[in-house]
Amino acid sequence: MENLIENLKKQIIEQLNLAEVKPEDIDPSAPLFGEGLGLDSIDALELIVLLEKNYGLKIQEPKDAKNIFQSVKTLAEYITSQKK
Amino acid sequence: MAMYINGTGCISHQNTIDVDDFFENSRIDLLPLLPTQEPDYKDYVPTNMLRRMSHIIKMGVAAAKISLQQAETENVDAIITGTGLGCFEDTDKFLKTIIENNEQLLTPTSFIQSTHNTVAGQIALLIKCHNYNFTYTQQGLSFESALIDAAMFLNENKNSNILVGGLDEAIQPYYDLLVKAGHIKKQGDVITEIEKNKTKGFCLGEGASFFVLSTKKNKTTKTQIKGIKTFTAIKGSNDLQNKLTAFLQELNLSVDDVNLVLSGNSGNVEDDKLLNENNKHFFSKTDIAYFKTLCGEYFTASAFALWLASAIIEKQKIPKALTQEHSNKKDLKNILIIDQYRNTEYSFMCVSSC
Amino acid sequence: MVFVTGIGIISAIGKNVSETLSSLLESRTGIGKINHLQTIHKDNYVAGEVNYSLQELENLAGLKNSNYNRTTLLSLLATQEALISAEIKDISTHRTGFISASSVGGMCHSELLYKDFLERKPHKNFIDTHYTGSHATDVAKHFGIIDYVTTISTACSSAANAIMLGARLINNNILDRVVVGGTDALCKFTFNGFNTLMILDKEWCKPFDNNRKGLNLGEGAAYLVLESERVVKAENKKPLAILSGYGNANDAFHQTASSPDGQGAYAAIQKALEVANLSPIKIDYINAHGTGTANNDSSEAAALQNIFKENIPPFSSTKAFTGHTLAAAASIEAVISILSIQQKTIFPNLNCVTHMQDTKLFPVTSLQKNAELNHVLSNSFGFGGNCSSLIFSKN
Repeated sequence: MENLIENLKKQIIEQLNLAEVKPEDIDPSAPLFGEGLGLDSIDALELIVLLEKNYGLKIQEPKDAKNIFQSVKTLAEYITSQKK
Repeated sequence: MAMYINGTGCISHQNTIDVDDFFENSRIDLLPLLPTQEPDYKDYVPTNMLRRMSHIIKMGVAAAKISLQQAETENVDAIITGTGLGCFEDTDKFLKTIIENNEQLLTPTSFIQSTHNTVAGQIALLIKCHNYNFTYTQQGLSFESALIDAAMFLNENKNSNILVGGLDEAIQPYYDLLVKAGHIKKQGDVITEIEKNKTKGFCLGEGASFFVLSTKKNKTTKTQIKGIKTFTAIKGSNDLQNKLTAFLQELNLSVDDVNLVLSGNSGNVEDDKLLNENNKHFFSKTDIAYFKTLCGEYFTASAFALWLASAIIEKQKIPKALTQEHSNKKDLKNILIIDQYRNTEYSFMCVSSC
Repeated sequence: MVFVTGIGIISAIGKNVSETLSSLLESRTGIGKINHLQTIHKDNYVAGEVNYSLQELENLAGLKNSNYNRTTLLSLLATQEALISAEIKDISTHRTGFISASSVGGMCHSELLYKDFLERKPHKNFIDTHYTGSHATDVAKHFGIIDYVTTISTACSSAANAIMLGARLINNNILDRVVVGGTDALCKFTFNGFNTLMILDKEWCKPFDNNRKGLNLGEGAAYLVLESERVVKAENKKPLAILSGYGNANDAFHQTASSPDGQGAYAAIQKALEVANLSPIKIDYINAHGTGTANNDSSEAAALQNIFKENIPPFSSTKAFTGHTLAAAASIEAVISILSIQQKTIFPNLNCVTHMQDTKLFPVTSLQKNAELNHVLSNSFGFGGNCSSLIFSKN
């Protein structure tokens, strides 16, 4: 899980071009959207593609993404749960 | 009706961010593709907006911010931009991904940033401007269209402030496409005296030039735009001369009142023909300088010319690189910009002291 | 005063005004299977495609080997019809301009050759016709319009802005007559672009329906001929309508999403009403932007609620007929609005069944004849927060 969280942080930084942000700056439990990293709806779509590209998981409705993308931790938990 | 220029911002091949340095040290570089001198964009744009911005968007937003800073305002009643090519970096990126991934697993950012009005939209977001917002894309007349709109807007809303800009980018894939189409000058053919050039092709430049305009003078006012006219069908030398005569007459100016002509020769011998003939006969007694030797050719190079004309009148000096003979000329009151793009689109702009 | 003296249109519901009107009166949608656009998505989505191949469009225009791309041919055809409709025999009699709009430009052609370009394989040059302004240069030249030519590109509000600029050019006495409108062809670039935003409905769109899933893309072109009062009098013309109001404002909320309260939309409608010197109660019908996306329809509904309060006029989105034609949308819908006035008919918002939960608004869902329409409002809202509204009035 730790590994996955670290990898996700790096992938998010790269995909969303967060040039000023380092993996250690991202608190895994902090909100990704609104506050925390302050991502928006376009970033959510980028993450949906990241999920499919890197983990083979497809989200059909953007509104389902809200819970999954709450934090890096919830995202990691979702990925882990789908692998079973 | 005159439009006062109250603030300017320009990013180009020259160091147009530091105006004094520009007048001293600008030079003519003999390159088919002219690189841009860029500021640290973090000085002008918040990081969370910067991360999505491609090259042209950064240039545009920064130049706009500089012009607003100079005009000492962030309140504008309209944002009007002109761009012939639009956001090509994002266009190329999205298209490439479509092709490489066979229309699968595509991400939205480069698509949404590729629309032509992205720069105008981003500026509006940055300064929270809910007002009039237009983008013109009529190739070589994109910037002039924006200015003509601004003139009408000021006529309709006499107490307004307008932000107007012209910008285009010259990224590698675009340059390659122009080379392939035969539009770019061969390296060995580039010469300093552009008006004496005998070969085809032009040197590609890029840039963003923004202006804050109003009908009212204030403490930041630099110069005024007295008139502007565009043409999409010039039928030869006589036609150009007649139209020029009419333009000057409308402004109550004679040829002798024009202290300097900024001529839009691109370096393509065929496209420059009419301008050269006109300059030889109509402006035989007037000083002429060729602005595209400093900025290169691109759809909105006339916006650079406007920035240059305004700076020359404001500082009452001509950059050394532009014209050796005239650099000590004084009492610069009226500058006429005559631009052309591919010998199909022509424009006149008169910039004056005020 | 600015008068509309001619109209021309081509879209999924017809290649001219007459066919368009038939489709509208018969509630016959143009949304269906994708036949001409080559995309891997073609069997999984529907769109409002113009039912002619590139070659067929060229034949319709009476041209041969023109090398004009789809965007340009659509523009040419609609302009041709508009000029004939305005009974213009000599274009040079008055100061005449051409103000067009496009977001696709020559991309419909460029994208077919881009792979070869990337792989450094030989290919025909496409860069000179790639630009959004190229079609305007070609079409203006074709019809001999020289006094003023320009192109506007502000995404989905583009054609409304072209129409607005035309009116202002007349009101500022720069032109006497101006052909205004927009054009966009379907292409892989925009199709995939909208798909990445997850706002395409794989099935027939449902504007303003609670269960709406997104938009259907469309293509087409439409132009109006606007003339000054002086020209109308001098030529004894019978105008089709008056362009009485227009307004543009910026949402300044987000790059693509509309603000929840529809602030930009509200401001644009407000400005149009001011120019027309009308109070909201005078609007008899609204041709809504109504793309069918969750975000747009809610935002537009909020704006309508705020402006019209208790007295929301009958409204419908005609995008379930034509699809969302992007830069051409506002001019296609302008023509439809003018037909509404002429026919005294409100064309329905097709495929809308369930009320939206968050608002009391519900569109007109069946053809309404004998409607006295004196003033019609037409909305178009685009990316970059660009919001525009037009008001057409009975002559």
